[in-house]
Parts: sequence; structure tokens; C-alpha cells
Amino acid sequence: MRWLAGAATLSLVGLLLFSSLNLSPSLQAPELETMAGMYGVRNAVAAVVLGARLWDTLFEVLVFAMAMVGVRIALRPLGRAQGAPPVPESHLLSQAARLLWGPIAVFALYLAASGHLGPGGGFPAGAILGSGLLLLALAQGTESLAQRVHEGALERLEYAAVALLLCTGTAIAWAGTKSPSWFVAANLLVGLEVAIGAWVVLHRFVAHRGEL
Amino acid sequence: MSAALFGVAGYLALGVLGFLGRGWLTGALAWAVGAGALIIWAPGFSESALGPGPWGIRLIGDTVALGFWCLALVLHAAILWEERRRKGAFHPLLTLLVGTTLALVISRDLFNLYVCLELTSLLSFLLVGYEGRSASIWASLQYLILTTVGMILYLFGLGLVYGRLGTLALSEIGRLGDPVVSIGAGLLLSGAAVKGGVFLLGLWLPRAHGRAPHSVSAILSGLVVKMGIVALVRLGEAFSAGPVLVALGALTGFGGLLYALWEQDLKYFLAFSTMSQLGYVLLGFGLGAPLGGLLYALAHGLFKALLFLSAGKAIQEAGSRQIAELGGRLPWGPAMGLALGTWSIAGLPPLAGFVAKGLLCADLPPWGKWLVFALGVGTVASFSKLIPLLRPRGNGPSPTGEIPLFLALASFSFWGFFSYPLLFDPELWGQSGLCLGLGLIAFLLARRAHPRLPGLTLDRALLSLILASVGIVLGLLAL
Amino acid sequence: MVLAVLLAGLGLFTLIVRRELIFKLLALNVASGGASLFLVAMARRAGPGVPILGLEPPPAADPLPQALVLTAIVIHFATLALALVYVIFLTEHRHSQDVRRLEKEEE
Repeated sequence: MRWLAGAATLSLVGLLLFSSLNLSPSLQAPELETMAGMYGVRNAVAAVVLGARLWDTLFEVLVFAMAMVGVRIALRPLGRAQGAPPVPESHLLSQAARLLWGPIAVFALYLAASGHLGPGGGFPAGAILGSGLLLLALAQGTESLAQRVHEGALERLEYAAVALLLCTGTAIAWAGTKSPSWFVAANLLVGLEVAIGAWVVLHRFVAHRGEL
Repeated sequence: MSAALFGVAGYLALGVLGFLGRGWLTGALAWAVGAGALIIWAPGFSESALGPGPWGIRLIGDTVALGFWCLALVLHAAILWEERRRKGAFHPLLTLLVGTTLALVISRDLFNLYVCLELTSLLSFLLVGYEGRSASIWASLQYLILTTVGMILYLFGLGLVYGRLGTLALSEIGRLGDPVVSIGAGLLLSGAAVKGGVFLLGLWLPRAHGRAPHSVSAILSGLVVKMGIVALVRLGEAFSAGPVLVALGALTGFGGLLYALWEQDLKYFLAFSTMSQLGYVLLGFGLGAPLGGLLYALAHGLFKALLFLSAGKAIQEAGSRQIAELGGRLPWGPAMGLALGTWSIAGLPPLAGFVAKGLLCADLPPWGKWLVFALGVGTVASFSKLIPLLRPRGNGPSPTGEIPLFLALASFSFWGFFSYPLLFDPELWGQSGLCLGLGLIAFLLARRAHPRLPGLTLDRALLSLILASVGIVLGLLAL
Repeated sequence: MVLAVLLAGLGLFTLIVRRELIFKLLALNVASGGASLFLVAMARRAGPGVPILGLEPPPAADPLPQALVLTAIVIHFATLALALVYVIFLTEHRHSQDVRRLEKEEE
């Protein structure tokens, strides 16, 4: 079994190596100006993700949202751990969290809003906001944080964001757009979706395990 | 194109909104949106680009897309009816799954196919494990691991093809003979074959379909595995890899049959039979009979959904999954459903299976006909063990509530009536009679034997996946 | 690019030979990382620059594979999250992560 597995993967790797070393020298260089000019943005990747291939991106957002739904569904029958998870008593951590939380949120917002001009965009922004929430949860305990943000409302907001993105995204993919404000709006919506998803999953995991 | 596009978007958006509550209602609304969109774009549309230049996504509304939209809507309607009392996230997930298949069949773009395949897989994992029993979660996890490996191969293939040709549009590909493109095409085809449950590559299929909730099995077998097949067919067409499709078709046809012949668990048996029936579809598309292949895929979607739904009812009523223990314990509703489905899958006149098989055979070369005939004999032989189930239960409450669905699906199975000339073709009648006779003999012979087939464990499935994909790549290099 | 292929091969090999589910998932993650890296390497063949207008002198990398990788990474993350939850579920219900024991109980 082991030998056969080794032989199989080795032959696959061999084929892949052969073909990747035999690729023609290079394709023609992409014309960033045309691509970026077509959408009025500077970040060509953003022009592809939210412009030319917006239709794919809509499905990508759906994949993410559905995975988060799946985590909730699959964790539900497992039930919650007994009692509230303990809050680690670390002065350093709580101070750091209090200090850093604001800049993290602002930075995430900045990334989402400027994703069409430079590096950034909705997905990293959402991930950063989500990890900011993780930091807060580490410092203050998830339960106290969960009490402050109403989870049901968050979920509803998430679904609404996805549905809105689907409808407007399709319309824009169909009509084409040149306006940078679409990129800002789409990045913000995606960031919101990712951050909420990350937070809800994090909270569920913690509530299930009973500790962080 | 815009109608199809907005139909898909409406379907998906309503599916997502279903999570907020009233999942069934939004599912039904989505169905209405999809049906309306289908009526608008039904004449079809030629390939058109969404987004500019070389970066855009190509979509097409050809016969294949049209047929699968119809199949998806019919099956969704059936499940909506069947599961009308189910609450929670079930209906939104189902609606999203159907909506994604609608998007997948109109796609003519390598990466769009990948994204749609991933979304159908993800929703299938969720639906397979929906009831939260550990057997189905385990089945779902195996499904997840195997399809993820397949999709990794697909991504490598995509990278190679893009790196060489600089395009993702299927219609602009066409330089077979270049080894790099051949290797890329082989990896792409392997990835799609894993998703399509082809024997040796997609060995997740029996477990996932056997352990899923009944109505989910119906939609998975009827619709979702066909998505892998659609991707396979589109890729095969783009890379002109017909012989590979034929080889895969024969492989999955006979491999699935081998396991189906001796399987005693009703749902596992139906799942293996799905694996084998996909062989007809691949043979049809690979040998230049696309219409026959498409019609067989649609017919199989209908009668396999009927079979799975009836089997689910039967298992609920009798409390057992073993075929041997079900005989004489079924109320007549499920028994009739199983009978109709078996009749149709065996290719006996005048049901859908007969007509589809006739159309398929009409366009095949002689040896292709022999292959199809041999598969038909095997199908009859394997389904013969359901005959004892048709003896209905003597007394007990008569389950009236479940008949409408069966009638509805059965009436769709009867669409064979509309393709008139085939129905009165004496040669076809002779063939199907011969097929039936030989199949019964084969059944009696097979009952004597008790072979020990290797169990399909996860490790073996992974290994056979890698080996088979290497085989596909080498086959394409040799072409 | 060679590294990407080797990563994927390593991942796939480990995926087959290890028996614990959690190692299988790790291997799967390594392999999918290999696939993403492969696409990024493919993008860089066009040029070393960042595909943002006015940030670096051309030739810039091909933005299309980079956009695809962005999508693929999110999808891999989503699948992995779901797989992990399933593994948690199975360990709680079957008290085992060993594939062979899970298979045996199935019979």
C-alpha cells in the first residue's frame, strides 16, 4: 500500500514537474493599463475579481457563507460546554486588546475601502476584522463579547449582505461598470460578510469547547 | 443570456434569504423564478462573454444546458413536494444547490466550472450530513476529502493549461498534441471525474449516496453527480478527448455493475447502479451521440430520483435497509415506485429508459452498441433482485398520502410516449426482450457466486484516485 | 513552481499513508497550498512586478491567476473549516480519529 502510494504520487509529481519545466518561456505581458482603465481602478487584481470575473466572486462569497452555515449546523447537535468559558487573567493582554482594537478596525476598514487602489480588498479586511474580534475575545472572554453583539441580528445581517451582493453583483456583471464606487461598496460588503462569518464561527467553536 | 443569468441570481438570492425563515416558501419562489427564466431563454443563446476581453467568463445556452435546467427544475419540484414539512436550513441549502447546478451547466469557462463544482460539493457535504448522524457525517467527510483531492488536481491542470495557452475559455482551447496541454487536460478531466463519481476516481459515491437523507440521495444521484459529468463532457469536447470519455464510461459502467450485482443494502445498491449508469452517458458523449447521452442523463435523473424516493419510503416503512428483509413488507406506494423505476432503468418499453437507450444506440458505432447492450444485460441482472420487493404487503393501513409524487414523477418517466417512432421499432423491442432474458439468466447465475470484492475504504479510494488520474494523463499523452 | 509541485506531492502522499483524520486534513491543506502556490508561480512568469498600476515598473505579474488564487484560497479555507468541524463531530461520537477503526465500525 505504502509503496504503491509512493509510486503513484511520485509519477504524478514527475508528470507535473515535466510539464511545468517545459512551459513555453512566457506569455505576453498583461496590459495593466487597459485592464485597469476599463474599470477605472488601479489594482488590476481587483479589476479582475470585482469586475471581469465578478460572476465567479459571487460564487466564492457563497462558498464562504455556506461553509459558515455548515459549521453552525454541524456543531449544533454537539451542544454547548458547561458554564461560561474562563477568562484568562492577563493584564497585558487586556490592555493590549483595548489599545489595538481601534486601530485594527480602522485598518480593516481602510483595506476594504481602498482595495481598488492598492493591495487590500474585502477578504483580507474581513479576515483582519475577524482576528481583531479574536483578540478581543481572548482578552475579555467570548461570552461578554457575545452578549454585546446580538448573534441572531448578525446572522440576519450576513444573509442580507450576501443576498444584496448576489443581486447587485449580477446586475453589474451583466451591465459592466466603470465606477470605482462599486468596488468600494462591494469590498465593504464582502468584508462585512467575512468578518461576521469569522466571528460567528469563532464564537460557536469557543462555546462548544468551553475554552479558547 | 441575461434571463439565464438573472434566473440563477434570483434562485441563489432567494435561497440565501431562506435562511432567515420560511425556507420552503422561498424555495418555491426560487423555483418559480427559475422556471420563468427558463421559459424566457429556452430558445437558447450562443456563446457570449460576461466581462471584457480575455478575462471575461463565457456562458452558453445550448441543448445540454437546456436539458439540465429542465431536469433540475423537475427534481427540485419533486423534492419540494416530498419534503414540504421539513423546517430549518434544509430547503435553503437545497435551493442553493439547485441554483448552483443551473449556473454550472451554462458555464464554458474553466475557472467558473471549478467554482461551481466546489459550491455544489460544499452544499452536498452539508446536505449529506444534514441529519447529524455519525455514519452520514463520516460519509460526508470522505466525500469532502476525495473531492478536495480531485479539485487540487483540477487546479494544477488549470494552471498548466492557462500557463500554456493563456486563456480560460473552453472554446479557445484546442492544441492537443502539445504534451503540456495534454497533461493539464488529463488533470482537469480527472478532477471532473472525481466529482462525477466515475469508478476508481469517485469512490465516495456509494457511501455518500447510501448514507444521505433519502430525498438528498435522490437529488445527488439524479442531478449533482451529473454536474461532474457535464464538466467532463465540456472538457472532453474542448480538448477533443472523446476516447478518454469512452474509456471512463466503460470503466464506470462495468465497475459499478460489478459492485451492484452483489450489493444487498438497498440504498448502496442504488448508488452503485448510479455509478454504472453514468457509463451510458459518457459512452454517448464520447462516441459522438451527444443527444442520446444527454437524454439518457435526463431519463436516469428522473427514474433514479424516483427509485431513491421510493426506496426511502420503503426503508422507513419496513425499518430495514437489507433487500432480503424488505420483501412482502412494503405498502403498495413505494412498491409501485420501485417497480416503475426498475422497469425504466431496465430499458423496457414504453418508459423513459427504453426511449433514451434507443436514441443512444441509434447514433453509436456497432461496437458501442454491443457495449451498451452488455451494460443493459448487467443492469437487468442486478435489478432482478428487487423483484421480490414488488410483492405488496397484505394488510395494514394504506398509505395514500405518498401516491401523488410517484404519479408525478412517473408521468415524467412516460415522456417516452412523445418520441413516437422509436416506440414501434421492432428491432428495439427485440433487443430489450433479449436484454431482459439474458439479464435474468445472468441474475440466476450470479446468485450462485459469492465473490469477495475489496471493500471501498478511504485509503483505497484515495490511492485509486491518484493511480487513475495518472492513467488518464498517460492516456491523453498517448492520444 | 517546483516547490509547489513537491508540496502537493508530499501532501497527497501523506494523505494516503497516515491513518489519523487530523493528519489527513493537514496533508490535504498542504496539497491545496501547493496548488495555490503553483498558480501564483504561474502568474509571476509574466513579470516580477505587483499588478497594481503605478506601483512598480513593468513588466508586472499576470493579475488573472492571482485573482483565481484569491478565490481558491477562500474556497480551501471554507472546505477545511467544515472538515474540521466534521472531525470534531466524529471524535465526540466515535471517540476515534483512526480511519481504519471508523471504517470497521461502519460494517
